[in-house]
Amino acid sequence: MIELQGVTRIFPNGVRALNNINLTINPGDFVFLVGPSGAGKSTFLRMLFREDTPTEGKILVDGKDITQMPESRVPYLRRNLGIVLQDFQLLKRRTVAENVAFGLRVIGASASEISNRVQEALEQVGLSHKRRMFPTELSGGEQQRVCIARAIVNNPLILITDEPTGNLDPMISQEIMQLFLEINARGTTIVMATHNHNLVNKLRKRVVALVDGQIIKDEACGTYAYE
Amino acid sequence: MSLANLSFFVNEAGTNMKRSAMMAFITIATIGIALVMMGAFLLATMNLESFLEQMQAEALVTAYLKPGFAITDAKTLSLRLTSLSEIEDIEVVTPDQAARELFSSPDDQKLLQIGISEESNPLPTTLRIRIKSGNHLESLLEKLKSEPMIDNISYGEDLFQQFHGMSQLLWLISLVIVIMLGLASLFIVYNTVRLTLFMRREEIVIMKLVGATNWFVRGPFLVEGFIQGLVGSVLAIIILFAAYQFMLAKLVELIPFFTANVGFDQLFKLSAKLLMMGIVLGISGSLLSLRDISKFSKSTPEGV
Repeated sequence: MIELQGVTRIFPNGVRALNNINLTINPGDFVFLVGPSGAGKSTFLRMLFREDTPTEGKILVDGKDITQMPESRVPYLRRNLGIVLQDFQLLKRRTVAENVAFGLRVIGASASEISNRVQEALEQVGLSHKRRMFPTELSGGEQQRVCIARAIVNNPLILITDEPTGNLDPMISQEIMQLFLEINARGTTIVMATHNHNLVNKLRKRVVALVDGQIIKDEACGTYAYE
Repeated sequence: MSLANLSFFVNEAGTNMKRSAMMAFITIATIGIALVMMGAFLLATMNLESFLEQMQAEALVTAYLKPGFAITDAKTLSLRLTSLSEIEDIEVVTPDQAARELFSSPDDQKLLQIGISEESNPLPTTLRIRIKSGNHLESLLEKLKSEPMIDNISYGEDLFQQFHGMSQLLWLISLVIVIMLGLASLFIVYNTVRLTLFMRREEIVIMKLVGATNWFVRGPFLVEGFIQGLVGSVLAIIILFAAYQFMLAKLVELIPFFTANVGFDQLFKLSAKLLMMGIVLGISGSLLSLRDISKFSKSTPEGV
């Protein structure tokens, strides 16, 4: 599903964010990306949705080399991906339903299709009763659920998420993680960067540890520890 | 572009204009004011030009016939020429008449001294031609030159050249003014769209994250530019013609023989031009602002 071949990213200021990364993620995998701040986790994720491109190496997503992809094709790549970031990134002046619908509007879906799929996605995250509320009327956990609903409304092949529980308390974090597990159980590949060692240790999924831009550990049923 | 997209763009544009009403107002007002000024210059130029044309039309073209033709030949020629579309009317002046006109001048003694008398009259038969408008002069001259009976033509060349130069200068000045005003308002539209773009940066980032193409992101802004251009130019046309009517009424009071030289069809054409200019200004200002849309769409700044 995702393949990184010798991926290196050197920033214009000389910082080597990623150094010769080789990694294969199979369809349906649930991968935790762990490591200290500044290890290159976010750069790694940004590469996957072509927000950034490697200085060297290749990234294959669903068999296609996205590093060579022309800029005009990037939106079509992203329509097959769900992206959930730490700072919820919801539009404050739009209702919950409108926020979720955004992902469908940009691909020109019909009104009835939008309405059905938004309802479905909101039911999955347990927020269909709050569809008419505005993000500011929701708790942090609920806002993150809306982001997840928006990310899955297109039935993506891969869900990429960067610190989705970073701003949430342990109880809510667990609920959010449960949601990701459910999404993964339906076949969506999930790549998640996180600092939440409790959850990583508890779930025993595949763990890839990045330190100084290099993979120092890749375990099938791993734990958070990378020192 | 699908119908769903278009209705989304129109809705978005409407909502955005409501949210940033001040910005929308500034853009509409800028386009409106620029177009009123452009329109005023164009109207003034059109009026002056048509005034100049009228003046030209009042000038006479005199055609001198070759010697040896009888007056009847001259009259036949005059009848034939009268049918030409450029000609208002023709007067045939016989050598006798011409000489009498000359003799009535205070210097007729002098003329006698140089050998002009009723018996030996060297003056040619002439046609005094009044043209319909200055525009028709060139084509008429061509036709007259091809007449074998006509020897020479005189039409106040200097005056025509002057009028022609003046009208060209007028158009040049108004062209420069229109371009300058156009650029100034384009710059303001560009800046206001740029500001709204910054205000809506977050929205653009999210749109791009969920897979919107650059053209999809631009869509609502372009619709907004179109609407603002349209509203601005319609307002400008209303203001301009109200002011024009008012000024005409005042001028008629002041100068009793004053008549407006610009007709309804010309005003209609000017309105169409202003409308087009407004829409082009609105859309091109937006397009210019949106050319580097991908810069706005990075979810996080470059860094680790």
